[in-house]
Amino acid sequence: MTAPAWLLQNEIGLCPCGCIGKRSKGSYIDKTIAGGAGLIRQAMFAEDTASQRALLQQVDPRVKVVTLIGLLITAALVRHVPVLAAMYLGTLALAVASRLSLTFFVKRVWLFIPIFTGIVVLPATFSFITHGHIVVSLGTWFGSRVGLTSQGLRSAALMVTRVAVSISLVVLLTLTTPWNRLLAALRTMRAPRLFLLVLAMAYRYLFHLLGTVTDMFTARKARQVNRSTMTEGRRFVAASAGALFAKSHALAEEVHMAMIARGFTGNVRTLGPSRIVARDWAWTIACVGAAIVFLGADRALGR
Amino acid sequence: MTRSSSSTRSPTDISTALDLDRVSLRINSGDKIAFVGANGCGKSTLLKILDGLVYPTSGTYRAYGADVTETTLEDEQFNEAFRSRIGFIFQNSDAQVFSPTVRDEIAFGPLNMGLSTDEAETRVTDTLAMLEITDLADRAPYQLSGGQKKRVAIASVLAMNPEVLLFDEPTATLDPRTKQWLTELIVELSHAGKTIVLATHDLESLHLLADRCIVISEQHRVVADGPPDEILADTRTLVQVNLIHDHAHSHGELTHTHSHDATHH
Repeated sequence: MTAPAWLLQNEIGLCPCGCIGKRSKGSYIDKTIAGGAGLIRQAMFAEDTASQRALLQQVDPRVKVVTLIGLLITAALVRHVPVLAAMYLGTLALAVASRLSLTFFVKRVWLFIPIFTGIVVLPATFSFITHGHIVVSLGTWFGSRVGLTSQGLRSAALMVTRVAVSISLVVLLTLTTPWNRLLAALRTMRAPRLFLLVLAMAYRYLFHLLGTVTDMFTARKARQVNRSTMTEGRRFVAASAGALFAKSHALAEEVHMAMIARGFTGNVRTLGPSRIVARDWAWTIACVGAAIVFLGADRALGR
Repeated sequence: MTRSSSSTRSPTDISTALDLDRVSLRINSGDKIAFVGANGCGKSTLLKILDGLVYPTSGTYRAYGADVTETTLEDEQFNEAFRSRIGFIFQNSDAQVFSPTVRDEIAFGPLNMGLSTDEAETRVTDTLAMLEITDLADRAPYQLSGGQKKRVAIASVLAMNPEVLLFDEPTATLDPRTKQWLTELIVELSHAGKTIVLATHDLESLHLLADRCIVISEQHRVVADGPPDEILADTRTLVQVNLIHDHAHSHGELTHTHSHDATHH
């Protein structure tokens, strides 16, 4: 092997005068790498919290899915804010008992409520949508008083607390159940097996392809000397997408071969479910009891 | 088990080049065989043919007294018997480890063989213990290192208790410790009566991994067939098939040229 002359000489790294160039902000490459790494870190964190030995983590996923659906229906039937507020406090207590970070849990729930529910319920608080007693006056419009009505605010509060309770219950389920056990629970609850197989494989290979994307962008960053232009960036992203598509196609073919090699003929067969133990029954009874108490309190408060 | 083929093309290959050309060989029960050749010579394609995953465009492949074709593998009984007798450990463990957890992965083969869930559970537990990966049972594939994935991939095939084990580049990309472990496992499996067929360009471990080596050239033809010592001594053939290269260097004032590979200096 004969090395060309240029390979035997050192490249000039910095300007010979020693001056330092201008700083540049992180490019789309940095953002993609950070995003990919963040997503993997988040999934790892979720798996860690789900595999702890705490209250909800120890309940069988099937029991958890059924009881939490029951509690979701209860939340939908309750028509008083104080009862829903009590239910929300109950979810916070469950989060603590399941050793979840309370700050993380609250943030995860309340981050989406103002964005989605808030926008939907906001108009309902105004007097021109929900007529009633104006508690906050916003002036007059065409001669009539406009403001926030007590009826509108009550409806909005009911909606927001109901959504908060519902999201909290779902977040409790996802944070305390590993993804694979959640899928296994759905499998035993007669969800279509082929659909769940595709879902499980999509989730599994999402991480693999995410790793590939991160590697591609890291390799690009390692060889990039000057800041790339927007056109170059777009070209690189398009080329990466194409390469990733080809890779995922080849991988899919290989995975299919690996399945066929082990006797897969299209029928999905899986291991049996684990046994329901006394702890699961105790949890179910507690949930049924809680649902009765909440619905009873709601009825006691009247219409 | 017999196989003969005059030409082969993989299903994804859109070029006109052949993957294998006039390859004819016979593999007997209990053999420990290595296909040796440079990258792209057709070793992996040959293994895929042996596992009934791709089919020769001309020529035949017979296993256990029957032709192995797309049509014969459509027969459920033959397919089940064939798949449970021949296991394939892919080079890319990521392609082989596709289930949500290690436990599900190892149970996949036994369940598809028609074993009951209790029997499959027993096999999973035993295989996990044998390969010393019990602590990985409930892990997801993305939480595993490369070496762990390789162990899981092997466990997923061993749980089916196949008579023939096909390994595609078993020691490639493994750290020295895992490589050593895998080499010892292959030797043990061979002693246990399993037929081992592997594709490799790892000449360093060849004398341990195989009793018979079949060298495939870059023209996709068999150019040598013999015991590892004989094949490794035939440096001319190894240079010809691009497995080793001539290397010139100096010892003080003396400059000389010799073949360069892992077994010679």
